[in-house]
Amino acid sequence: MKKWLLCGYLLFTVLSAYAQVSLRASVDKQDLALDDELTLIVQIEGVRGNISTPQLPSLPAFNVYSRAREQSTINGETTLIFRYTMLPRFVGTATIGSVKFSYGNQTYQTEPITVRVYHSGQQRPSASVPATPSDSFQLPTPKAASQSNKNLPPLEASLAEQAYANGNEPFFLVAAVSDRTPYVNESIYLAIRFYYSRAFYDAPYQKPSVSNIFMEDLGSTEGTQRINGTLYRYQEQRYQLTGAAAGKATIGSAVVHYRVGSSPLAALDRLFGGAAISPEKTAESAPFSLYIRALPQDKPSSFYGAVGKEFNISAQISPKNVEAGDAVNLTVTVTGDSNLKSTGELKFPSVEGFKVYPAASESGSATTSNGKLLHYKSFKAVYVPTSSGIYEIPAIAWSYFDPQQGQYKTLSSRPLVLSVSPSSKTDSGFNFAAAAPTGNGIQTLARDISYLKTTEAPEPGTLDLLADFKWLNWVAVALFGVCSLFTLFGRKSLAKKKPFLTAKSRLKQATHSEVIADVLADYLLQRFSIATGSLQLQNITAALQRKGVRPATAESFTELWQRLDAARFAPAELGEQSTANLSAQALAIINLMEDETK
Amino acid sequence: MKHIAWAFLLLGLLSCLPAQAQDSLRKAEDAYRQGRYSAALTEYENLLRTSPNDPFVYYNIGNCYFKMGSKGLAAANYYRAFKLNPRDNDIRHNLSLALAAGGEKFVPSGVPEALHKAFYGLSQRELTGLTFLMFWICCAIGCIWLLTRHFKYLWLFTCLCALLTGCWYWARAQQDNQSLAVVALPTAEIRSGPGTNFPASAGIAQGHLVTIEDQRDSWYEVIVKSQGIKGWIEQSAVEKI
Repeated sequence: MKKWLLCGYLLFTVLSAYAQVSLRASVDKQDLALDDELTLIVQIEGVRGNISTPQLPSLPAFNVYSRAREQSTINGETTLIFRYTMLPRFVGTATIGSVKFSYGNQTYQTEPITVRVYHSGQQRPSASVPATPSDSFQLPTPKAASQSNKNLPPLEASLAEQAYANGNEPFFLVAAVSDRTPYVNESIYLAIRFYYSRAFYDAPYQKPSVSNIFMEDLGSTEGTQRINGTLYRYQEQRYQLTGAAAGKATIGSAVVHYRVGSSPLAALDRLFGGAAISPEKTAESAPFSLYIRALPQDKPSSFYGAVGKEFNISAQISPKNVEAGDAVNLTVTVTGDSNLKSTGELKFPSVEGFKVYPAASESGSATTSNGKLLHYKSFKAVYVPTSSGIYEIPAIAWSYFDPQQGQYKTLSSRPLVLSVSPSSKTDSGFNFAAAAPTGNGIQTLARDISYLKTTEAPEPGTLDLLADFKWLNWVAVALFGVCSLFTLFGRKSLAKKKPFLTAKSRLKQATHSEVIADVLADYLLQRFSIATGSLQLQNITAALQRKGVRPATAESFTELWQRLDAARFAPAELGEQSTANLSAQALAIINLMEDETK
Repeated sequence: MKHIAWAFLLLGLLSCLPAQAQDSLRKAEDAYRQGRYSAALTEYENLLRTSPNDPFVYYNIGNCYFKMGSKGLAAANYYRAFKLNPRDNDIRHNLSLALAAGGEKFVPSGVPEALHKAFYGLSQRELTGLTFLMFWICCAIGCIWLLTRHFKYLWLFTCLCALLTGCWYWARAQQDNQSLAVVALPTAEIRSGPGTNFPASAGIAQGHLVTIEDQRDSWYEVIVKSQGIKGWIEQSAVEKI
């Protein structure tokens, strides 16, 4: 009995808890300008335990950029308030569909809310304007469209214009870009919308082919639009385009193949006259081309190729206090509205006392709370301090090109301060604190380096200066070579000439025939190694001829020798004049001998 | 008159240069004494620009690095000072200490200190000058002997002296021409190939002396003679002497 009562109590408690759950949705204003914010407040009361997030309806007419959650629990019952801050995208009446919330196998939903969006410069419309009952936002009629489109962003205006031009077709495809003359590396948007006013079966989509441009898928959305009084639904596919190089870029046709009618498996439908599947039809968007503009030439050195208008740079180091030799990670992050993947690698500054190891960068994109696509690129480097001290890593510059202003702009990170303490790692092989008694009453407590040199180094010595006279080596070698050559060849020649020169000198001074005879005898002995004392005249003459003296000269020598012999034995017959003649004759014969025996 | 004025101006400027150097030395010493080693180092490095061959400036830079805890860089700078002025006892002492901090010995085991001092008694330039001088004397006396056949034994003696000096010069050149480097980072890794994809075979502390054998991109092939290790180390991890 008790068990039944307990079960009944629990069931009652749970049911009563579920019965108290309430879901409410409201907006902070019913009418707002195009640049106003709208806050959608979703309140859930009376829930317990694990609670899921409420499911928002599709909001094609708004960009949701902020979400906030408040929670309070009293007596175990939780009240949740979700605030969604949104920006309207189009002028007209927009409906926020039912917000759904699942709890305890039950789904709760709110009533749709309708708001009116008017142009920023317009007066707030009167409250008597009736709201459109459908869950669509309504664009102005075609006549008013051209005027209203002026206030739309270029991409939406172009899409709307094309939609009105095709408004009589039940299926059509339109494509537009946000800018037809972007700069190289500037990000622009391509939107392709498939409009349909009737049901269709199976519509595969084929994206357009592009040239000289990079295309990145941004996802798809759905929506409705009333054109010429007909309600169309559409599926929109968005891309981000980035021009690769200056010049023409083309965007081909996007294609949707569709069939009208119900599923071929719906046999009953066909049996009872239901719509049959039509042949495959094709909807194509018009191809078009863009002109990619080159960037101006005056690029700053810190420009790495980024083009856009909203960039931020930040830098941080980790850790901020290190020991010498430890690695410090420096991360520089650049965020912005343009694609940063294709931009160049940042050049990290070199810092005195640091070794720098740049690492690979990371890039990507993320959607912010307001639905915007935010691109980022993180550059990383490892700085290793080699010595202790307080260091400053200087500001890092990063430039981009602003296409709206047509000029380069430079961002700079803040300088970072890093404290480096001496390394505490143990060095091997030496202990400074080692105390060693030396045995003579002095104890070594520690060893340290010698003090500074407080003067300049002494001037280099003589030996040091001599090292500059390398050319003197060649002079010494040349001098030694000359002496050697002289010793080898000059000395022999000099020895050969010496008897002649001696004889010549003595003959000039000779005053007696005996002296002349002695000179000749000495000359023959020294020059030809002929000893005249031990040979007869015929033998001397023959020996001279063997040494190369011509017979005529040898004959002249014989005559001279005989005259000298005669003079020796009869000196009175010779006068002073004759002695001079004999001397001249002897000199002439010696000259001839020298010439003939060279 | 204008020329004289210019000459006086030039003389004035030249006379200012030593005064500026003295001023920088004083500033650096003050910073060193106050423990501001980084500031002292900056001053000495500025001085090095004007006196690139001053061994005392290298010595003082080594002292600053030593006090800042970078014993590898200290050893590298002491070594530079030692090459320029090997007879200075302070330089020898500090180099010994800096190398000892990395487990290296300045005087190799088994070599008497006196022999080591004698072998490094002259700087490379002084030894070059001495070798030149001996060669010139040898040639001059040789010429006299060739021409006069006198002083034969004196010439033979000078030839012997020149030959010994030449041998000394050659032996020193073998030592000095080695591409030496000191490990500058507190720890570095020696790998089996020139890249981080090769496994590290040894860790080496700062202050170790290595001989560079080869180079590939940003890697040196080194031999750590004291440990008998050969491998590849990143250029940024060592300071070339």
